[in-house]
Amino acid sequence: MADALFLAISVLTIGSAIAALEMRSLVYGSIALMGTLGGVAGFYVMLDSPFVAMFQLAVYVGSIAVLILFTVMLVKRELIFKKIEDPKRKFAGIGLMLIVILALGAIIMDSGIKSISTDSDPVDFREIGGDFLTYYWPALVLMALILAGSVMGALVLARREDTVENEQRTD
Amino acid sequence: MSVIAPKFRLGYFLKGIFDNAFWILTIVTLAGIPLIQIVLFYMDLPVIDGELLTAFLAFTWLFNPTMQVPLIKSLLYSDLFRIAAFPGFGFAALIAAGTIFVERKMLAKLQLRVGPFYCGKIEGLLQLAGDGLKLISKEIIIPAKADKPLFWAAPVLFVGTAAAFVALIPVAPGGWVVADLDVGLLAVFAVIGFFPIITILSAWSANSKFPFIGGIRALHQMVSFEIPLILSLLSVVILTGTLNLSEIVESQSNFPWIIFLPISAIVFFTAMLAELERIPFDLPEAESEIVAGWLTEFSGMMYGLVQLGSYLKLYAFAALFVIIFLGGWTGPMFWPPLETELITTGTPIPNFKGDPVLTVFAPGLPLFDKDPNEWVLQEQGELQYTSGQLLINGVIWFVLKTVAVIFFILLPRGVFPRIRIDMLLHIGWYKLIGLAFVNIFIALGLVYAGVLGPGGIM
Repeated sequence: MADALFLAISVLTIGSAIAALEMRSLVYGSIALMGTLGGVAGFYVMLDSPFVAMFQLAVYVGSIAVLILFTVMLVKRELIFKKIEDPKRKFAGIGLMLIVILALGAIIMDSGIKSISTDSDPVDFREIGGDFLTYYWPALVLMALILAGSVMGALVLARREDTVENEQRTD
Repeated sequence: MSVIAPKFRLGYFLKGIFDNAFWILTIVTLAGIPLIQIVLFYMDLPVIDGELLTAFLAFTWLFNPTMQVPLIKSLLYSDLFRIAAFPGFGFAALIAAGTIFVERKMLAKLQLRVGPFYCGKIEGLLQLAGDGLKLISKEIIIPAKADKPLFWAAPVLFVGTAAAFVALIPVAPGGWVVADLDVGLLAVFAVIGFFPIITILSAWSANSKFPFIGGIRALHQMVSFEIPLILSLLSVVILTGTLNLSEIVESQSNFPWIIFLPISAIVFFTAMLAELERIPFDLPEAESEIVAGWLTEFSGMMYGLVQLGSYLKLYAFAALFVIIFLGGWTGPMFWPPLETELITTGTPIPNFKGDPVLTVFAPGLPLFDKDPNEWVLQEQGELQYTSGQLLINGVIWFVLKTVAVIFFILLPRGVFPRIRIDMLLHIGWYKLIGLAFVNIFIALGLVYAGVLGPGGIM
């Protein structure tokens, strides 16, 4: 059962990744990208880490894919892309991908991780949270500062447009 | 003179019957029976009274009164029943249907109209059924230049996502929930994230101006209100230390969280109104500006599906509010506790001479107890109740609270005007996010002061 599920998710992920690259329509391409990201979430569920899987769905499919869709819908493709039909580049790209995959596979096979024990307990996300609050607290504070900075930057950018609109409204 | 119906001839009539029978037999033999075999191969068949329930046995037992009750019980405890009927789709759709009717009637009363009145003689009770029949029988029109696959898929995906949301809602104690996830609240956030995608895709695929404007507005609104929605729930997560929705409900057996986190509840309620596209935040389907927003091009049952999905979503959000802030199914018991021996050994009833002639068992709730011989007594405080009693009590409290929250979601429609999009984004990004952070600090203060949380009352 697990093997069939793994195969199905792999086919979904890789197939939609290829579709995302090869689709002529940008909207369908971004839908296929969503399929890829969802497939990665499926892998996380299979690897006993539903916490990461749900964040993958909420952040990547729910927000980043939406941003991509939004951008794609508001631009005309002809204005930014020129279509270059060049089969040589395509074959070179496929060759490069094969080389990278083979190299990574060789490294992984060589590293000794050949067998996976499937009966071990999943990592409890409460432990991760506890570690973050106690031992790794500088990392948490750093992340919090970066996030706060980015949110404030976004607010400042949004505010600048607000003043312009207000001036127009008073006119 | 043209004749609409051809003249009746017995030969043609018989030929028609035989033709139909032939084709039905052929299709069933070639496709139906193999399909049933394939499905049966992958299905886990239930074991009832020590016998494997095959299709043959099921048909036999349908006409055997002594075996019907175990058959129904096994169905009640199957996954299919949970998904399709009780805590899942059917229950939610029933509440959603009630919501639609109550909304129309209540809005009419608020505006000094009568509302639906003629259908069904008494206060227009059958109006909803009439509307449903109308929607099913109407033609589905697809715009000529629409992107057909996406346009067809959008309503179905919308209902599917709403049903997935409903599936995460626990309704009663004892695990009455379709999917009891350890990360239930995160799963809720993940499911909520799918709504803007479906909205914008359907709006784009209609290839029309009004749906696209509505879709862009919906995207703005949903994406920006998702942040305060998530942040306002984090304070509850900090206090309870769990993401499982059933555990969050159980943590409120003494007091609901709305007592300690009123700001969080207000922020969540406002963000919820915006996510549901209800007045005063109904910019995506502003009738007076952009026809019907992103629903403009839908017709017939496609429109009906989108409406069903949006009301399922309304039920699910109201239920989430109840679960997180109002204590879910917790509440005083309506029932007197049963005596233990009434359930286990039975109480003998004597006649006038004093000889016991009858042994009385509690009539109980046979549909909800797996086996009358193994009735589970669950302790709540000092008193003991059967699981069936706890279930019905929990469902009554849950539905009462959910209906109250739905009422408060419907109420602004008769009171407030629609607000501008810049005011909406201003509320979302400045006020609500700030308030949500304030509330997170309140929750942290309560935890570190030892008032609530692991070291405090809880």
